[in-house]
Amino acid sequence: MRALTYLAAALLAAATPAWAGDATRGAALAEARNCAACHGANGISAVPLMPSLAGQQAEFLLVQIIMFREGLRPVPAMMEPARGLTDAEIEDLAAFYAALPSGPAATDPRNEALAARGAELSAARNCATCHRPDYSGQAQVPRINHQREDFLVHTLAEYRDNLRVGMDTQMNGVMHGMTNADIRAIAHYLAHR
Amino acid sequence: MTTKIIPALAGAALLLAPGLALAQGAPPPAWAQGRSPEMANSTLAPHAGRLTVTPPDQLPTAQLRVPEGFQVELWAHGLPGARVMVRGPNGTIFVGTRGIGRVYAVREEGGERRVSTFMQGLQQPSGLAIREGALYISAINRMLRVDNVEQNLSNPQPVDLTAAFNLPEAPHHGWTHIAFGPDGRLYLPRGVPCNICDTDGERYALIASFNPDGTDRRIEARGVRNSVGFDFHSRTGQLWFSNHGRDWAGNDNPSDTLHVNLRRGEHHGFPWCASGWQDPAVSGRLCSEFPPPALILGPHVAPIGTHFYTGTAFPERYRNALFIANRGSWNRERLAGYEVVVVREEEGGRLVQEPFLTGFRDDKNQRFRGRPAGVMTMPDGSLLVSDEQNGAIFRITYRR
Repeated sequence: MRALTYLAAALLAAATPAWAGDATRGAALAEARNCAACHGANGISAVPLMPSLAGQQAEFLLVQIIMFREGLRPVPAMMEPARGLTDAEIEDLAAFYAALPSGPAATDPRNEALAARGAELSAARNCATCHRPDYSGQAQVPRINHQREDFLVHTLAEYRDNLRVGMDTQMNGVMHGMTNADIRAIAHYLAHR
Repeated sequence: MTTKIIPALAGAALLLAPGLALAQGAPPPAWAQGRSPEMANSTLAPHAGRLTVTPPDQLPTAQLRVPEGFQVELWAHGLPGARVMVRGPNGTIFVGTRGIGRVYAVREEGGERRVSTFMQGLQQPSGLAIREGALYISAINRMLRVDNVEQNLSNPQPVDLTAAFNLPEAPHHGWTHIAFGPDGRLYLPRGVPCNICDTDGERYALIASFNPDGTDRRIEARGVRNSVGFDFHSRTGQLWFSNHGRDWAGNDNPSDTLHVNLRRGEHHGFPWCASGWQDPAVSGRLCSEFPPPALILGPHVAPIGTHFYTGTAFPERYRNALFIANRGSWNRERLAGYEVVVVREEEGGRLVQEPFLTGFRDDKNQRFRGRPAGVMTMPDGSLLVSDEQNGAIFRITYRR
């Protein structure tokens, strides 16, 4: 019981955001920068390789947009939209997308064998420790359910190939040595939950 | 890279033994390697840093505590990720970071203190050192030198020394502290690219020194898991360094440590021994084979800035005392660290540590208000402490 109390307290400490953006201002800014053209009107992307942002963790969004602005994550399509954003504007954008309802899971047929392999890989690598058991993420750790399967494949390969680093280097370590088949399995599993 | 993963359990050995690792796909994430069975379902994860500006009214200035006679005040803010600090000969304070990739410059202009982003877009530029008016910047495997740096604040043209230093590219535990020793050489630790593993001991788990141009590499200390703070004793010139113990072995084991490197090339125990604790994940060598640490700092406290006070403004008992900024734990159910401690040498040579700057850790609610990272003496004898979480710098003075 004592241990449980400690655990709950530790989770609280980790989950308490140190800032608060304004989702209303964020909505206006998203409109002005035409984010919907790629990321979808409700933050749910219909464009190949473009991520859905609805219900994404605010702190994760914040970190990524800052990395675009600082040139630390060089995605050409994001260079112009992120240019000149202030910290406060980024907090607002993050708050806006975090507040949108995520989902749904992918609607194309689920390949049971592939999904089972993905589940196995996820368990072996403790993905749910940081991403949470339902894969909704926490703080700077992103939501990875309710995401486009093709984007998950793309992103996981980028981490594996050291083409992308996060705020820290954890995901590069996680993905080291994974095969393309492994990546397809994990992405299929996550997208169909 | 010849890194082998060391399994926590005999059962896991089959999964992770060299050669089988690839067949099984990727090794677990670096921080999860060597996880004990009782922590298998733990949900502890690294805390999120903050990369945006923290407004002054959200800073924990009023909650900070120092011993009687000392005062603490906010000195600078608006430097997200502020970590290490060095001072140029003309008084510019350079501040390194990790995740946000920036080096800041803080200077006084017309009686006003100004913060500017001096360089950006670097990968974890956490190591800064000053020599003959030049600023050295270490960013994982990159090494840059900006000559006459204070005359070139608005348009730095760095000399790229990356090839000469030939540092490992592995980013994990590759963020480093650097400093020039009394021998004029540049000292640079390199941590292990994992939580616990048997690495190439010529490349990782060490502190090396170089000529300022990157030539004549020498290994000064071995068996050092991850040191991100060190200094040279003001009188003896000896290298004193702090070291991070590994994760996922429990709440109270192993402890982070302080070491004195008594001879060149001395081995300090990693991966077999940490803080006098024999790591059950690794066999082969015993703790008794290695020199014990100079001081046990505490489990998971995460010592960063490790700095001998060189001023005279503080009372006698703080002269040449070692200040250590403990950035604070994540792999522990109760928060530990989140404070600056001072280590003093008592008569007979015994080292004792006591809290110096506290208030970042909120024990009651198990939250933290900030994470102290860098410590530096100013010419007037005051002490600067950076707060990485809030991107702020606090100044501590003494008045009788």
